[in-house]
Amino acid sequence: MGAIADELLSHMPDRTGYDVPHAEVRARQVAAINERFHEQADRIRIVRQRADEAGIAEIRSLADVVPLLLPHTAYKSYPESFLFDEKWDKLTRWLNTVSAHPTGNTDLAGISGIDEWIDRLQAAGHYLSCSSGTTGKSAMLISSEADIAHGQQDLVNAVLWGADVQANASRRFFSTAPVAKVPKNTMLGLGLFEAFARKDVAPFVSPAPAMTVGSITAALVMRRKIADGTATPGEIAAFDAEGAARAKGMADAVDAVAEAIIAARDDELFLMGMWAGHYNVAKAVRDRGYSAKDFNPANALFCSGGLKRAQVPDDYRQFVYETFNVAPERTFLSYGMQEIQSNMPQCPNGRYHVPAWLVCLPLNENGDVLLDADRGEITARAAFFDLSIDGRWGGVISGDCIRIDNRPCACGNRSPSIADTITRYADFKGDDKIGCAGTVDAYIRGMS
Amino acid sequence: MNLLAEVTATDSAPFFIKGRVVEGDDTVHRSRDLGVDFATPALDLDALVGPRTQLPPLLNVPLAEIIDFLAEAGQKLLAPGNDHVEAAIERMAKVSLQPLSVIRFMVTNAAEYLDSKVLREVVEQNFPNPRALDEWVPHTDHQGRRSYIRAYAPRLIHVLPGNAPAQGIRSIAQSALVKAVNVFKMASADPFSTVAFLRTMAEVDPGHAVVRSMSAVYWRGGDEAVERVLFRPQYFDKLVAWGGGDAIQNVMKYIGPGFQLVSFDPKTSISMVGREVFASDEALADAARRNALDVAMAGQEACVCSRFTFLEATPELADRYCEVLAREIRVDRSGEGTPRPLEMDLKEQIDVLRLMDEDYAVFGASDGRGVAIRSEEPVDFHPLRKTSNVVCVPSLDAAMKYVNVATQTVGVYPYHRMPELRDRLASGGAQRVVRLGEAGPSAIGNPHDAMYPLHRFVHWMANEDGSAGDD
Repeated sequence: MGAIADELLSHMPDRTGYDVPHAEVRARQVAAINERFHEQADRIRIVRQRADEAGIAEIRSLADVVPLLLPHTAYKSYPESFLFDEKWDKLTRWLNTVSAHPTGNTDLAGISGIDEWIDRLQAAGHYLSCSSGTTGKSAMLISSEADIAHGQQDLVNAVLWGADVQANASRRFFSTAPVAKVPKNTMLGLGLFEAFARKDVAPFVSPAPAMTVGSITAALVMRRKIADGTATPGEIAAFDAEGAARAKGMADAVDAVAEAIIAARDDELFLMGMWAGHYNVAKAVRDRGYSAKDFNPANALFCSGGLKRAQVPDDYRQFVYETFNVAPERTFLSYGMQEIQSNMPQCPNGRYHVPAWLVCLPLNENGDVLLDADRGEITARAAFFDLSIDGRWGGVISGDCIRIDNRPCACGNRSPSIADTITRYADFKGDDKIGCAGTVDAYIRGMS
Repeated sequence: MNLLAEVTATDSAPFFIKGRVVEGDDTVHRSRDLGVDFATPALDLDALVGPRTQLPPLLNVPLAEIIDFLAEAGQKLLAPGNDHVEAAIERMAKVSLQPLSVIRFMVTNAAEYLDSKVLREVVEQNFPNPRALDEWVPHTDHQGRRSYIRAYAPRLIHVLPGNAPAQGIRSIAQSALVKAVNVFKMASADPFSTVAFLRTMAEVDPGHAVVRSMSAVYWRGGDEAVERVLFRPQYFDKLVAWGGGDAIQNVMKYIGPGFQLVSFDPKTSISMVGREVFASDEALADAARRNALDVAMAGQEACVCSRFTFLEATPELADRYCEVLAREIRVDRSGEGTPRPLEMDLKEQIDVLRLMDEDYAVFGASDGRGVAIRSEEPVDFHPLRKTSNVVCVPSLDAAMKYVNVATQTVGVYPYHRMPELRDRLASGGAQRVVRLGEAGPSAIGNPHDAMYPLHRFVHWMANEDGSAGDD
């Protein structure tokens, strides 16, 4: 990586990146993005195409970066038939348009399904993660070995910055809900486990049905068949039955996790997951008559991501904290997204801090004009350039609507920070969309 | 281009309630497409509903008189200098995805629908015996049982579409023809035109029963505080709704005994072009031009716009066709000028296919003027903004698997192949077969969405009166 990017990234191991003022670092960030541009533009075809179209040969300001940001949907731009018809050679070639490292070294002979394809990519040094949307397309994000190594280290350091815990391998480790089995999730989980988990007890393994990319893809294939009219009633019935069995498996797993956590209640716990999972397990724990008084006051809670439209009561956070006896200073909350790999941990003031190697580019809703957050908090579409990313382009425009302020935070840290009010543009658009033109997607029932 | 910057002040969208214009800027809403604000008066739900003990105002107004009134209103709509319509067209251009010239064309086109001959033909196509709209029509079955049948005036609540600025005008006319009592829920992409038309009608005769039968208001689609209250069989017989997805999901939960749904579903239209197109350069040029007309009309916003063309050709041959097609699509036939940039996601999808040049070829630039994409399977995004996906098929028969329940209009070239295709198209779910290039104009009074809408609107009522020979 370039010298300037490396210098910014050197803030990561000593956790000083959340205290670097925007004004102080902006010029170096522009120079570092320019370095990345020169390194990667000729390696990532989709970036080359955009640069040529926008006539950009050099990045001299943050505004120059805007035309080169990829919408988050770029990672869903593969033709779906490549996936459904298991055309691994074509899918691998598509991946090559967004990858910084040629994917042609992947052994594609005799692949039995997408999970095996992902394994083969990993064997060739490409770590693929797929988002788990069941109604739309999965985003496919490619990472390199360097990305995985950075991601593991970044996450551990973000936790250490964002929560009052030590990386002394003293805790019992529990995931409150299964995560999709993709290499990146597995490796990040492993990093946290290494840093925080006791090694003398076997890690708890959830009995929940594994959420593999294969199982997610099967649901998408079924959706397509229903739309086409090629799914038979018997196939739909079998699919529904599988879904019901899976839902029951998930519900049973909540009970199993709750019971295992109760059994380990005297130990220091490290609870991993997202809010919906934490809440469900907390409720099962309460239903069994246990609450804060029964748990170790040193417990820590890790939560990534928002609610993702989960149905929980308004006081879900309080309920979770009070169930597991988690003190506010030992909760780790962060803002991040699949498309970038660096984390923005939450400070005691409740704001997410953008580290020096992650450049936040607040945009207008259309995503084509850079806004100024130097003079106070503004509402913007979140876009980022993550200087740490090696395996693909670091610049991405998200679907998130954020409130960002480049001025120092009241917590004392001086990096730009984002308020805990993140929403998705998709959630407040579209409800009023009525027209006579549309697709067969509107004719599919029971798949959302 | 920053569209928001063009709007200096929030436009007012007044309501029209049973002949009365209601002004007010009590609530500010945001249009769904361009994010522009507009203000409406507060919604008085009580004003929208009358008791069922009151007969519909139009019930005993003869159909002929209704048609005369609509035709007169149509003349007034078309007359130059109609302030309501001019103002509405300008306001619509700010909140609609359609350019001003297209909106003006659509409004003019819709006003032309308000013609005595056209309206009479619409009724005659929808009803085997239009007299049933005016009176109780006697009928005796073959066993001698006597009845009187009436196509009785219904109470309708309409959820209007936002992508066809003139649908309000047609809906008003159709509702008047069946003598309905109506509430029109306008769309955020067009909260102006329906009221503008109704105001023009009120100027013809403010006390006319047609005018007193119409209310047009806005609330945000899915607003439970309104829909849960209003969508009841005690108030309305039928909900006439356009669209799919969230829009229909929202209203479906209110459908129940006595409150029926008449839905105009979201549709995708396609083209089918046979290998005959390669017989000569002239044939290719002619077909490509016709195909482009079907793709690009109304900015490809409407359901009749072609989005996929199934072409009997190899990829090499198809590229010849696509090159001409893209050129024709990119001709600015509606005087749009410089189009707004393509939406980010759509542009990304198209540009990635450009890079996938082993399987795809993209003709034309991603600048909003139009592209043709050649492929061997349909693309998995919805082609918008003058985008045509030309899919190579070995035979048009092989394209039948791509016809589904969402398929509306199918434009065919050469025309003599329509009869061989139409049974299978209908079986697959399609609803209309036309000559390529003629998706836009439609024959008067034809079925729409596989039904005769006016026939569905009315409250069919029978009065049985014993048997022949009874007293």
